[in-house]
Amino acid sequence: MNAAKAYWLTNVRLESGYRREEGAIVGTETELCHLRIENGKITEILAADGGFPKDELPRRDAKGLLLLPAFKEMHIHIDKTYYGGPWRAVRPANGVFGRIEEERELLPKLLPTAQERAEKLLELVLGFGSTHVRTHCNIDPVVGLRNMEATMRALDTFSGKLSHEIVAFPQHGLLRSDAAVLVREAMRQGATHVGAVDPATVDGDIERSLQTVMDIAVEADAGVDIHVHDQGGSGLATMSRLADMTEQAGWQGRVTVSHAFAFAGEPEAAAELADRFASLGISITSTVPFGGLIMPLPTMRDKGVRIGLGNDSITDHWSPFGTGDCLMKASRLAELYRFVDERSLGEALGFITGGVTPLDADGNRVWPAVGDSADAVLAQASCSAEAVARRAPRQAVLFRGEIVAGTL
Amino acid sequence: MANAYWLLNVRLETGHELENGDVTGTKTDLFHLRIEEGAIAEIVRAADRPDEIKPEGLGAGKASTGKVRAMEASTGGVRAEKARTGEEKAEGTGAGEALAEKAGAGEANAEALPQVDARGLLALPSFIEKHCHLDKTLLGDRWRPVRPAASLFERFEIEKNTLPTLATTMKERAETLLALLLRAGSTHVRTHVDLYPEVGLRHLEAVQEALASFDGKLTAKIVAFPQHGLLRSQSAGLVREALRQGCGLVGGVDPHTVDGDAERSLQQMMELAVEANADVDLHLHDGGRVGLDTIRRLAQLAEEAGWQGRVSVSHAFALSDMEGGEAEEMAGLLARADITVITSVPLGRTMPPVPFLHARGVRAAVGCDNIFDSWSPFGSGDVFERAGRLAERFGWKTERELAETLGFITGGVTPLDKDGRQVWPKPGDEASLVFAEASCSAEAVARRAKRPAVMHRGAIVAGSLEGRSV
Repeated sequence: MNAAKAYWLTNVRLESGYRREEGAIVGTETELCHLRIENGKITEILAADGGFPKDELPRRDAKGLLLLPAFKEMHIHIDKTYYGGPWRAVRPANGVFGRIEEERELLPKLLPTAQERAEKLLELVLGFGSTHVRTHCNIDPVVGLRNMEATMRALDTFSGKLSHEIVAFPQHGLLRSDAAVLVREAMRQGATHVGAVDPATVDGDIERSLQTVMDIAVEADAGVDIHVHDQGGSGLATMSRLADMTEQAGWQGRVTVSHAFAFAGEPEAAAELADRFASLGISITSTVPFGGLIMPLPTMRDKGVRIGLGNDSITDHWSPFGTGDCLMKASRLAELYRFVDERSLGEALGFITGGVTPLDADGNRVWPAVGDSADAVLAQASCSAEAVARRAPRQAVLFRGEIVAGTL
Repeated sequence: MANAYWLLNVRLETGHELENGDVTGTKTDLFHLRIEEGAIAEIVRAADRPDEIKPEGLGAGKASTGKVRAMEASTGGVRAEKARTGEEKAEGTGAGEALAEKAGAGEANAEALPQVDARGLLALPSFIEKHCHLDKTLLGDRWRPVRPAASLFERFEIEKNTLPTLATTMKERAETLLALLLRAGSTHVRTHVDLYPEVGLRHLEAVQEALASFDGKLTAKIVAFPQHGLLRSQSAGLVREALRQGCGLVGGVDPHTVDGDAERSLQQMMELAVEANADVDLHLHDGGRVGLDTIRRLAQLAEEAGWQGRVSVSHAFALSDMEGGEAEEMAGLLARADITVITSVPLGRTMPPVPFLHARGVRAAVGCDNIFDSWSPFGSGDVFERAGRLAERFGWKTERELAETLGFITGGVTPLDKDGRQVWPKPGDEASLVFAEASCSAEAVARRAKRPAVMHRGAIVAGSLEGRSV
């Protein structure tokens, strides 16, 4: 279909406000609307009860399905998945270094099918409603840039269906595996973010590791997204130092810490760091761990830290789990933090949409608005809260106005 | 040979693949299973199939599935859509001549048993949903979130006032949930049913009617559950009556917090159980000292009554508060009284340490608990997914750990034992199976494999084997 071609997406259910009883929010009001889609954007929104627009544009009937903002998968490794290939459980390994050792043998074996598996995974993620993907991609002495090349070919196949970011990820340690040259090369070849992993425990030198990350990022005018699993003092020190460097480099709004487990530690220090992250626009990405370690995600959000969610491993040598479904992540988050009322369920959606929710805190519709990119999910639900709690089935996914998964 | 047929090309696990002593994979093979009177009568390797089985005979299969359908209808397991998928299959394989020839061959041999082709799907023992509330669910009714409640007692009121106002009947909602449970693969369900003075036995009656419409598709046990407190709501009489009217277990909830007198509450619960020769399943959310003491006393009472193996504690949050040597003591106590710990695998830190308990011989089982009700808007009704969550929660990632996880939703049955010997299915086992799109149990658990069909006592009771694309 020609992207410029305009059409009407008719009978779309949009949220229009909260229903209140005795001051308490007990439900969500919705209305059926017709949306005019043109050049990938929403250019007009009409209430359906005014009848059909009197023009000759083609119409596609959404038949009352709920429109949700499309999801963002903010942390995944599409280069390392087994998905789409034969089943393989996780082998016992001796910690993170054992895993890295395992990669020396495993990655070359996976390489010939890396693109194919990445494509299958993208198809899965897209089908669930994610039209933006930030993938980490191994940059290491074993595979060099070949995983990234496979990743880029896979993403090319999905051009026009989703947008993406690629993090050049020195899994074996930026310093430890002497990967700075490779990462620099990756940035030249199209990576959008500089990655890293545990400057304290993997690289053994917080200062030099972070400094190298920031140097490369500034050189390449690129964002930063580093894995920090380190907990306690070393994790906090890493993130605190990263905050300093973000400020020095003027890299506000361009830095992400993935996992950021140290926030689950000492509450006072965590709160202080959360304030700094909020003021520097440093975002965090979480997989929503739910057992031994629990992140204070609601508190961090309330302090203004931007939080994204990711599926991370989807059946790979690190973890056999992972569904690829961001809505399920949001649902898990809501369940974990006891978001059970209408408003907090609806707001949980913001964790997987880059903060976009149909209603604002007062119940005014803020999405979709005329001019918004037509990136959306059509779900079988009566409102966002239901969609999150019940992980509503999704009928179709729109990216820049095109149906890129499912059908109407 | 009534109700007999061959189930062809079923994938069964046959052993472990080992590498340097670690289990790194699972061996499987295809088998034909002769099903008779709801049980597995014979298991033969597909490669050594007896002469009378001609699995490649699509026509024969088609001609004979009619007989299987008739058999299913007689056990109440027929699905209207099967006819349609059968037609699709005929179209898809419509190689005219060959089909006719084989169909003719099938008819010629009147002695040949009907055949159903599982086409390589993995068979798992069907699941047990060990903890749910069929009377509480709002499924099938319109969406509504959970209303904030200041206390447990306010929650009781909200629920009590909500249920009678719904546009759907309790029977309808319970049926919607049962269909969901069955589709996920649960062919046995333990449901609690609320008993309190304002509703009398009405919830029980509605749930029993719903279960009656699933007769032949699954089995169920009902727990007589005095949700508002056995003592607090003075419901002993109701519980006694419910036990007479078909409940198999006595329930209860937080004898300390809700009833305010753990000793008397536990005593009364056990007396009701012994009187009715019923099992026990206590909701215990009380944590810390209070919860642990409740479990200790319950174990004592169970042993005194000779009720070993007949008592469950659901939730058992207190077991996450055990300190030091107490953990070994509690595990020993639970194992001795053979008390089953049932968990819904709640998200968060507070849940029983299942790996620790399991290693010490304490039985543990998983149930979904709340599935969209006045207490929680979540819950999928898929106990298999819950088992996957259990594995994820405790970091069970290896082939062996994942495969063993299955036991928590099958009453301990797994296809292979610890040493990789095939122990399920065996001839004589009930033909209650879940057909999964997976290469082995471990994959199925980790990847929440799709389950195209569920079989209960020889009849397909959810999904279908016929519409499957190979």
